[in-house]
Amino acid sequence: MKGGWFRGYTIFYLIFLYAPIVLLPIFAFNNATTVAFPLNGFTTAWFGKLWDDPALHHALKNSLIIGCSAAVISTCLGIFASRASSRYAFPFKTPLMGLIMLPLVMPDIILAVALLTVLLGIGMPLSLFTVILGHVLVCTPFSIAILSAAFQSLDQSLEEAAYDLGETPISAFRLVILPLVLPGIISSLLITFTISLDEFIMAFFLAGNENTLPVYIFGQFRFPQNVPVILALGTILVCLSIALLATAEYFRRRGIAKTGGKDTGGFL
Amino acid sequence: MTSEKSATPGQTMIEFKDVHKYYGDYHALRGITATIKAGEFFSLLGPSGCGKTTLLRTIAGFEGISSGVVMIDGKDMAHVPANVRPTNMVFQSYAIFPHLTVAQNVGFGLRKDPRSKAEKDAAVAEALEMVGLKGYGARAAHALSGGQRQRVALARALILKPKVLLLDEPLSALDKKMREQMQMELIKLQRQVGITFILVTHDQEEALVMSDRIAVMFEGEIAQLADPETLYRRPNSRKVADFIGTMNFLPAEILSEMDGKVEVEAKGFGRLTLDAEQVSSAPGGAGASIGFRPETLTILFDGQTATDRESRAEVVEVVYYGDMTYYDIRLEGTTEPMRLSMRNVFGRPVLDIGTQTRVAWSPGALVLFR
Repeated sequence: MKGGWFRGYTIFYLIFLYAPIVLLPIFAFNNATTVAFPLNGFTTAWFGKLWDDPALHHALKNSLIIGCSAAVISTCLGIFASRASSRYAFPFKTPLMGLIMLPLVMPDIILAVALLTVLLGIGMPLSLFTVILGHVLVCTPFSIAILSAAFQSLDQSLEEAAYDLGETPISAFRLVILPLVLPGIISSLLITFTISLDEFIMAFFLAGNENTLPVYIFGQFRFPQNVPVILALGTILVCLSIALLATAEYFRRRGIAKTGGKDTGGFL
Repeated sequence: MTSEKSATPGQTMIEFKDVHKYYGDYHALRGITATIKAGEFFSLLGPSGCGKTTLLRTIAGFEGISSGVVMIDGKDMAHVPANVRPTNMVFQSYAIFPHLTVAQNVGFGLRKDPRSKAEKDAAVAEALEMVGLKGYGARAAHALSGGQRQRVALARALILKPKVLLLDEPLSALDKKMREQMQMELIKLQRQVGITFILVTHDQEEALVMSDRIAVMFEGEIAQLADPETLYRRPNSRKVADFIGTMNFLPAEILSEMDGKVEVEAKGFGRLTLDAEQVSSAPGGAGASIGFRPETLTILFDGQTATDRESRAEVVEVVYYGDMTYYDIRLEGTTEPMRLSMRNVFGRPVLDIGTQTRVAWSPGALVLFR
């Protein structure tokens, strides 16, 4: 029976994908330092420990600074690029857009090493700023992918209609284009923020003496007694990521519905 | 968009002087020279890609021109951007702002209007009433039907009292019944507001029904500019004749030309003398031919006689349309079937295929293409 095979395959695939994530909260609330069954008892102590770890707070602060900066910068760049690619024809448009989108599929470690080499070469000290640079590079293609859909679903006549009714290019953009792509912009901000928050390789290579959350987590695995704390932190991050991505998807769909366009995918 | 002195009805509103437009190597407009009068309902008619929309967009200012002059109401538009031109446009897609209400859409162009909010609201209500959407102001624009969007687009453009209203295939997205209704409404609206309307369409029937004058365009050039009746009765080339309605062509031979009269011989019609005004001025290509519309031939039933001339013919195809019957007939001595239409008045029979019959015609209704 064909249907049975496919069903079994799908179930197995989903278990493989999500069972480890489900284990995260289970052990985060388990009253034992070792990650193993059988469970020992319920505790929220690991979450409490998160509160009094200054190194963690510092890493979190760094990650938030980097995440917000990377989200804003890459979304701005995304707006420019999507607007240009959806509105204007220019020479070498396809290869140019392809090159901009390349970091999406290029191994991060290659990008990170290349960037590190260049930064060291020009003598720029490693800091949060260099991590932001790296994250912008990684996040911008995602932003373009989201915003291109938003810009392309816009009827070009809308802008012309605004000119026709007396608006300048700037006021037409503000009154017509911006409100219509705003859901896409919010979606882009949330998704790029999430990507930056999770990103490890760039941060590991480019942060210098600073720590970001993923780098901090990686470091903590050297201490077995800290593992449940990390699982608690992981649980929070998973919930936060799901919430952010769901919100982003909500805005993306709302944007498409608003302009009356057809939904052609997205990341969720 | 108020102005000191504007053209009065009948005076020149828009003037094209040798307008050319290139897109790279593509020559989209090839020397357009024409004038459009104030208060006129003018149509640009042609197949897709003929340049009619490009020409309309040069008036709106969305499209620059490569050479030539576009004048609106006596002013050269060369360096006048779209947002200050005295024109407003109804877009093919209507371009209704989906994030605004109907009233916000209609009032969009009044943003810089110095009038008070109450006065503007009254103007919006008035514009909505004019297009038959009274009370729709608070509705969300994206929830409107095609016909309603069209009306909102009209109200949004007309509220600014432009000198010229540009309509880019405004009816093409509507179904047949709605389209015919909107044609009538647009004609009425145009007479009511007295604004110059310029319509772009590929639908010859629509152009004939609505326009005072029509410019037929092919490949970036105006092939003929005339009123609907002249265009239909005296097309100046086979191409225009083919595009507007149905026209039959019968090969003909020119025997002599004298004092403006042309003597021709055509199989099925015999020897004819035609007036100069029946001769198409533009060269039509392969050989001379006589052109005639389906309704200019009439089938003679038993006992009827022709008031002018008659020929023998055989019915080769019958298409029944309810109010009309279309016949394909073969005139005696010819090979190609010709299309003929008869109104199905009470008591008139529909002939069968293969019937031998007589048809009546008049030399005055024929056109000679050479």
